[in-house]
Amino acid sequence: MADADEDAIRAPENASTQPEVDLSDETQDFRFLNHLNFFADSSPGIPRRGEKDFEPNPTELQADVLSASRGAMHNALSYPRLHAAKTRVIGFYAPDGYVPPAPTESPTPKAGGADGKSSDSTPKPARPLPNSARISPDACVYVTNPKGQFFKTMGQADSSSRVWLLPEEALYLIERGSLDIRWPSPSGSVAGPGEEDLSVPMSLQAAYSCFMGRGGLTLERYSVYTGLRRLGYALVRAPGWCDDIEKQDAEASDASDITSPKLHGPGLAGILGSLFNWIHDPRSTASTATGPIIGTGIHRHYMDVYRKLAIIPWYDPVTAPERHTSDTTPPFRVVFHIYKPSTPFKKSTPPTPDFRIAVVSTRDQTTMPTMTQLGALLESTPLDPPRGEKMDRMMYMRLRHGYRNVVMAVVDQGVVSYLRIADSAFGKEKLYENKGGPQGPKRNRANQKSRKR
Amino acid sequence: MATPVTCMDKPVATKSGSASNARPPRAPRPPRPNFRHIHQFPLPVNVHHVPPVIPHNPLSLISVALSYLTFLISPPRQEVYSAYFDKATSSIHVTDERSINALWQMGFFGKGSLSRSEPSWLAREKKRRGLHNEKTSEEITRLRRTERRELKLERARMEKLAIEERLKAEAAARESVASEPLDEAAQSTPSDDTTNVTATTTEKFSLKKAKEARVLEARQARELAAQNAALAEENQPETPSSSKSVRFSSVVQKKEFLSTSPSSLQVPDSVVDSLDVDDFPNEEHLQLSNEEAFFLAYSLGALQIYDSPLKSEEDQPISPITTSALLQKFCHHSFQPARDGSASLQPDDPFMTSYAVYHHFRSLGWVIRSGVKFGTDYLLYNRGPVFSHAEFAVIVIPSYSHPYWSETEERKNYTAEKQARSWWWMHCVSRVQAQVLKSLVVCYVEVPPPAASIEDIGALFGQYKVREFLIKRWIPNRTRD
Repeated sequence: MADADEDAIRAPENASTQPEVDLSDETQDFRFLNHLNFFADSSPGIPRRGEKDFEPNPTELQADVLSASRGAMHNALSYPRLHAAKTRVIGFYAPDGYVPPAPTESPTPKAGGADGKSSDSTPKPARPLPNSARISPDACVYVTNPKGQFFKTMGQADSSSRVWLLPEEALYLIERGSLDIRWPSPSGSVAGPGEEDLSVPMSLQAAYSCFMGRGGLTLERYSVYTGLRRLGYALVRAPGWCDDIEKQDAEASDASDITSPKLHGPGLAGILGSLFNWIHDPRSTASTATGPIIGTGIHRHYMDVYRKLAIIPWYDPVTAPERHTSDTTPPFRVVFHIYKPSTPFKKSTPPTPDFRIAVVSTRDQTTMPTMTQLGALLESTPLDPPRGEKMDRMMYMRLRHGYRNVVMAVVDQGVVSYLRIADSAFGKEKLYENKGGPQGPKRNRANQKSRKR
Repeated sequence: MATPVTCMDKPVATKSGSASNARPPRAPRPPRPNFRHIHQFPLPVNVHHVPPVIPHNPLSLISVALSYLTFLISPPRQEVYSAYFDKATSSIHVTDERSINALWQMGFFGKGSLSRSEPSWLAREKKRRGLHNEKTSEEITRLRRTERRELKLERARMEKLAIEERLKAEAAARESVASEPLDEAAQSTPSDDTTNVTATTTEKFSLKKAKEARVLEARQARELAAQNAALAEENQPETPSSSKSVRFSSVVQKKEFLSTSPSSLQVPDSVVDSLDVDDFPNEEHLQLSNEEAFFLAYSLGALQIYDSPLKSEEDQPISPITTSALLQKFCHHSFQPARDGSASLQPDDPFMTSYAVYHHFRSLGWVIRSGVKFGTDYLLYNRGPVFSHAEFAVIVIPSYSHPYWSETEERKNYTAEKQARSWWWMHCVSRVQAQVLKSLVVCYVEVPPPAASIEDIGALFGQYKVREFLIKRWIPNRTRD
């Protein structure tokens, strides 16, 4: 239409208002790194990015800007990264997985050397921790002196207060330089805290070859894990992690047949109305076999017309039964529960996840999921209907939010793209009953300019 | 970004002076027609409201009874429009002017064959021949595009100017440094100030700035022209060509000419004189997609479709195509090239799935139109395209979850091929929709096993089931809060 603008230009000042502009897609100007002060305690806030040139020009100015940016990046990279003895965390690799602590061993670790002070400061459990059973059999690294913020969201402690790390957690920490993993001592016994000076440190390469592929950890899952982890999310393995979940009894699959379409009852027309309606009742001439569906008589209201038109069954996510994870087909299965950085997270009792994520490798699964696969994936997540005052008011928001949702991470050779998939029931929103109220967030005219019809 | 005017802005800034922050005056928009009134009916179906019955007012009963009495005596007739099926384009043509208007105004069905959506060829043609001067939507768009392109060129030109200016300044600085090496401390070298100054100097010219500069330039040109005219009165041989201070490059002028030439193309006077200007046939017809036509014919009964164009009003020996024949025809024509009439109907014919989706959204009250301009199957409008932008873009994918489709290996392979969509395709579609601010709806249609008969169309479509998934790119950086 006349207002449509099919030649939209994103002016630079609009960039911040555009929800879809992803800054990580852009080539970056690294000069802002110069303003970062690694030593100052007061954070100066996130520095602003500079403007961007689109093509080279012969001015010295551009060359200078470029070299300044390059210099800033090199400067930032050349910052010495040290492992302070104070924050040093040492883990031991247990190739055979979780081993319960030997009964002869004293539950309190023997303080030795430089570690003495810090192991005193770790809270010692008075009684054996009850969560030893929760330690995954896939855990293969244990840390005797857990400290630092990472252990708030990672690892599980056993009865002798050793924290057992899953392969992806250990790999993430070693890659970050926050963990020093040692090979098991040749004697074969589980290394104690005093033996770390004698043990051989594990290289990053060795860590990759030891942990990748262990207990279902694929490179795709690891790149999703580490990417989100770096952004501050907490990730926990979901029950669907293992591909070989035994099939649940057949009753779950039978239940899917119950999903009958909710057909609409008789209209809201009042008794008086129906009394009069018998004259020229369109219903008498209505025929879904050959049409017209709505009949040829006199129609009293458009609502009645629309109600008669509803002949196509649709899927109702509310009445659909929840399904077990075992009904899903392997790549389309929730493997991580994700918690926002702002969500208070407790390792022993994880709250309801903020997002559930399935990881798909485009090289193994080259096509999009079929409806059966996608439906099973969504039905394995709990119902999350749109709630709140804002949702009640805005139909578009309700539709966009959907009744169930899941995030799918599509990993193509290391490049991760996330898709949020929601089960939105258009059939539950009768647009024809709506009398032109506000449908969505009002956009101001300036933004609407770039929108297309 | 409010930045101080830098040396790069000089050529513009000095000229603009105090007027630089005043917005250029914008031509007032022509008043919009009253769309609320024009498009008050959501479907081409006549609805006769019953007068409200008010219990404590017995008089209202009388009015109700009266209205029923009038209906009983003279029942109002439901308007039925007629159209014909065109094999070549495999679409439905409506040529009757009244029907075209009715179908467009009530429910936004079809599109003008010579227009973008609303049939407006006649209005444009009249405008072109100078018969009336209301702007059609196509013209407004074209005008805006031309303007925009010019602004872009202007911006590029100003950037180029700024670079040249900068080069000159740098050369001058180098010279001065060479001649007076002692003065170097006073001269701020570029390498010193890159970190703090470049942020301002490299700022791009926004379109707004370009626009302002343009308006100003035009004004100055006018003043100059006036001066020139005054001068020319005194001094005849003065050349008036120096009116523009900054000239467009030849490329720009050429492009400008190209962009405006089709609209300003003038029919030579002699041709206009020979034509009967007031009365020329409307060459445009309304084109309905097969889904739209089937909905109108089968669901609403508001359209009769013939096999060939009607010869004249008085003799109508041919009868309209029956709905079941219509369904067959459309199914055959949903393939390219169209299948011949003997081919049997398959439950997963593209027409069956796309019509199921079309009907589903229509029955919920959406105005559903083709989404081909954004690379999707459908677009969903609330009330209609003149009222609001489409919020949702719909992709239709068949789904074969019924056990029938996985009975044999052959069927399995067939359905796998039919359902397969690559991730690249998916990302492509979703990124395009994000760019045009639409929410992507992937609509799966569950295909039933082949039916025994297609006599009962309602029962046939009742076996299909529609399920919508909303797919949107998830950006972890934005959901952290």
